[in-house]
Amino acid sequence: MNLRRLFASLLALMRKRRLDLELEDEIRAHLELAERDAVERGLSPEEAYRKARRGFGGIEQMKEEHRDRRSLRWIETLLRDFRYGLASLPRAPGFTAVVISILALGIGGTVAMFSVVDAVFVKPLPFPQPDRIVGVWEAPRPGAVNATTVPQFVAWNRLAKVFSALAAEQPILAALNDKSGPSRIAGKAVTAGYFKVFASGAKLGRTFTSEDDRPGAGPVVIISHAAWQSYFGGDPGILHRRLILDGEAYQVIGVLQRGPFDRDETQFWKPLIFTQDQLASDAHWLTVYGRLNASATLTNARERMRALYAALDETAPMKERGGTIVVEPLKQLLVGSNLHRSISVAFGAVLLVLLIACANIANLLFAQGATRRTELAVRSALGASRGRLVAQLLTEGFALCLLGGAAGIATAWLLIRVATPLLSQSLPFTADVSLNLHVLAFAAVVALGVAALAGVLPAVQASFGNLTDSLKQSARGSSVMHIRVRRSIVIGEVALSLVLVCGALLLARSLVKLQQLDTGIRVENVITMSADLPLGAYPTPQKAVLFYEAVARRLRSTPGVAKAGLSTYLPLEWISNGEAMQVAGAEKLVRVRFKRVDPGYFSTLDIPVLAGRGITNRDREGAPRVVVINQALAAGLRDIARMANPVGKIVRLSSTDYTEVQPLMSDVQIVGIIRSERTSSPGSPDPAVVYVPLAQAPNPHIKLLVRTHEGTASIMPSIRQAVREIDSNLPLGDVATMQQVRDRTLAGASRPAWLIGIFAFVAILLAAIGLYGVLAYSVTQQRRELGIRMALGARPGDVLSQVLRRALVMVSVGLVFGLIGVFALTRVIANLLFEVSPLDPLALATACISMMVIGLLAAFPPASRAARVDPIATLRDAG
Amino acid sequence: MSKAQTEIPYGTLDLLILKTLETMGAMHGYAIARRIEQVSGESLQLSQGSVYPALIRIQQEGWIRTDWGISETNRKVKFYSLTRAGRKQLLVEVANWEKATALVARFLEVST
Repeated sequence: MNLRRLFASLLALMRKRRLDLELEDEIRAHLELAERDAVERGLSPEEAYRKARRGFGGIEQMKEEHRDRRSLRWIETLLRDFRYGLASLPRAPGFTAVVISILALGIGGTVAMFSVVDAVFVKPLPFPQPDRIVGVWEAPRPGAVNATTVPQFVAWNRLAKVFSALAAEQPILAALNDKSGPSRIAGKAVTAGYFKVFASGAKLGRTFTSEDDRPGAGPVVIISHAAWQSYFGGDPGILHRRLILDGEAYQVIGVLQRGPFDRDETQFWKPLIFTQDQLASDAHWLTVYGRLNASATLTNARERMRALYAALDETAPMKERGGTIVVEPLKQLLVGSNLHRSISVAFGAVLLVLLIACANIANLLFAQGATRRTELAVRSALGASRGRLVAQLLTEGFALCLLGGAAGIATAWLLIRVATPLLSQSLPFTADVSLNLHVLAFAAVVALGVAALAGVLPAVQASFGNLTDSLKQSARGSSVMHIRVRRSIVIGEVALSLVLVCGALLLARSLVKLQQLDTGIRVENVITMSADLPLGAYPTPQKAVLFYEAVARRLRSTPGVAKAGLSTYLPLEWISNGEAMQVAGAEKLVRVRFKRVDPGYFSTLDIPVLAGRGITNRDREGAPRVVVINQALAAGLRDIARMANPVGKIVRLSSTDYTEVQPLMSDVQIVGIIRSERTSSPGSPDPAVVYVPLAQAPNPHIKLLVRTHEGTASIMPSIRQAVREIDSNLPLGDVATMQQVRDRTLAGASRPAWLIGIFAFVAILLAAIGLYGVLAYSVTQQRRELGIRMALGARPGDVLSQVLRRALVMVSVGLVFGLIGVFALTRVIANLLFEVSPLDPLALATACISMMVIGLLAAFPPASRAARVDPIATLRDAG
Repeated sequence: MSKAQTEIPYGTLDLLILKTLETMGAMHGYAIARRIEQVSGESLQLSQGSVYPALIRIQQEGWIRTDWGISETNRKVKFYSLTRAGRKQLLVEVANWEKATALVARFLEVST
């Protein structure tokens, strides 16, 4: 058949109805003409009528041949089979329901997971030319990146030619007063080029221009589309309104387009206008983003920036030498390696579940095929070709998988709806998890793949073998090949399930280790929150200190409160403020993490003082400057500065002033050592931390920690009341119990554990169903053999144990393959584990034993049925 | 399938139709069937209906095209006419036919 005919045939297929009507017309016209001719020749009308039809021949036959000739018969057949397949599904409702729910689970989970993969890795970032957006960092030493200083940023902005726009940002939190009382909203102070970097436009008004971040420019603000909707109800006159942030009025000059920024916590942007002090300061506090210009590549941008940095290095003697610069694509910046690993492992796990689901469907179709042998045999006896039968079975399988695919997409949609709010915390704000065309295409491929994997084998099996034998009642031994294939499928299922179960158990062990992890603090009955003192209301450090003391005193006298403390960072939270300590006589600087705490901090969290003293009320402005250090720092000082007993020693310590702009160096006396408390990631060793009295180094951004006598559930209203009495405009944010903070810190490790646990559970269930199916089938097949054996004297117990033994053999073979898989995947899983070996014998043994137990449980019903076989009944039945 | 196919040598109906259209110009289905019957006299038993499956196939090959016209009984019917490709195909088919008949004739001569 040439192309032209193929095309014409396809066309004819689509225009079937019209062509049939046309043919009908032609036949009618033909017969009329024939009758007319006959009448003209002198026949009577009745005779003419008959003669015309006789001359024409069989009308229906001709129509059939016409259809055969003009179009692709096999496609029409295919469509018919497909319809037949769909129509036959309700005839076996149980079977259909099981297959479709397995498919819905497998495909739905995979598609939902893929939509996350798609959102995070596949989709380009939701900005124009996203590959051109980069983050620019200083790298004081290899492997470490640091925010940059104002003089650096200003110089880059002036001298770097590789960027079409460069901008710095600083996250800020501001108090917004509206009807419901003060609340804290997140925003950013950004330089004028910010929205040019992201190429984001305004829906209303405008974005920033270079006029907006000049010194002396009026206070203006741009709000996100989401903020416009939630705080202003989408008021179209927003550009005439002002936003009161921290008590200061800002003119709203623009509303962003709806888009990725709406998924971020940032609600507003205001211009970052550098003060004279900041322009001269060496503090590293700016995060810098740039958009590469059309001619620049990432590589040459890196080279040019490094050259520029080296040149600046020579002119700036103040700075630490030897650093370099890092230019990295925004995408890389947003998708950390931890996230990458978690998503990959979860996706891998869900694919395993899908494979197992496939195996199960194949198994079910196989069994179904066996029950339909008689039907197929009849059809074959009536003249259906073998290919025709295979095609029919395949098409039916396809119809099933299509339904399963549709159910899977619905499941995925549901999963995404439910999981997105939970996930959004751990995904970058640019990730828009949705069922888009990519995802739907993927779903289609998965459904087709499942149809192919699960459908082909049973179809071929059902049509091969001697079909006519099936017509004969005695053909009982004909399915040896058949049972063998089904057994291998079950073995595969057991193997894949074992991999998942091992993964889940290893992660669970790792979770237990994390739960037992000594955090070095008291977690129970502690509630935390944060507050940010606006510089307008607290312009001087003295005012801030008054606030701290007042609020701590007020909190301690609140009924139900046992203890209260303040600090700049919560326990179990990474201390992002790094400073340097200089010890007389030692050449190297000691890098330390810098945490400001009030006198109540250590006691609120039960952190013991190991030597010297903690921080007291007397450590305030005017008193000698003191610090407390942790064990890790004490050990560091011993190694680096050979300081055996640091208590009482005086060291030099860098820090920044109240507004975090001016760097300071001061001599401080170490007065005590405390036991280390955990900071962030559980896998890494404790960093060296220096605790500075909040009263001697005030800071506007603080956390409040309150320990109650019993429970934290009902205490928040009294805490809010207490703070309101000190400052009625100050909102409290980030309210969380210490337990929640702890869980959040450990969540990175626990989230994939739960997910994979669920996957493993589904996998075990599917494998058990598969095993049960195979054994139940083979017991039915062997009823006669069992009957004979029992008639010859075998006891029910023998039969029972024989069936169970067969199950154990299958499971054991599966476990061997599964263990091979686990060994192969060691490297992948090792990264997710905390203090647990990926070949942890306890986890592997537990997994194997539980698979065995589940195997036996699945085998027991068919085995006991075999043992109850009545020899006389079966023998008589067999005739 | 139909009686005609056992009585007209396989594949010759196409040739007959093409030849008819070449000599007679545009015609509707009934006229084509009648014409074939008349030319062959009473020697050919043709079910008139069997021209239609042949016509649709030839049309799909692009050898004939259809136009709507009015029949003698005032009905809208399809008129078939030869295309340029159809004329070429006719030459090919005629040549094939002659080759085949010559072969059969020679075979019969030798055998007798």
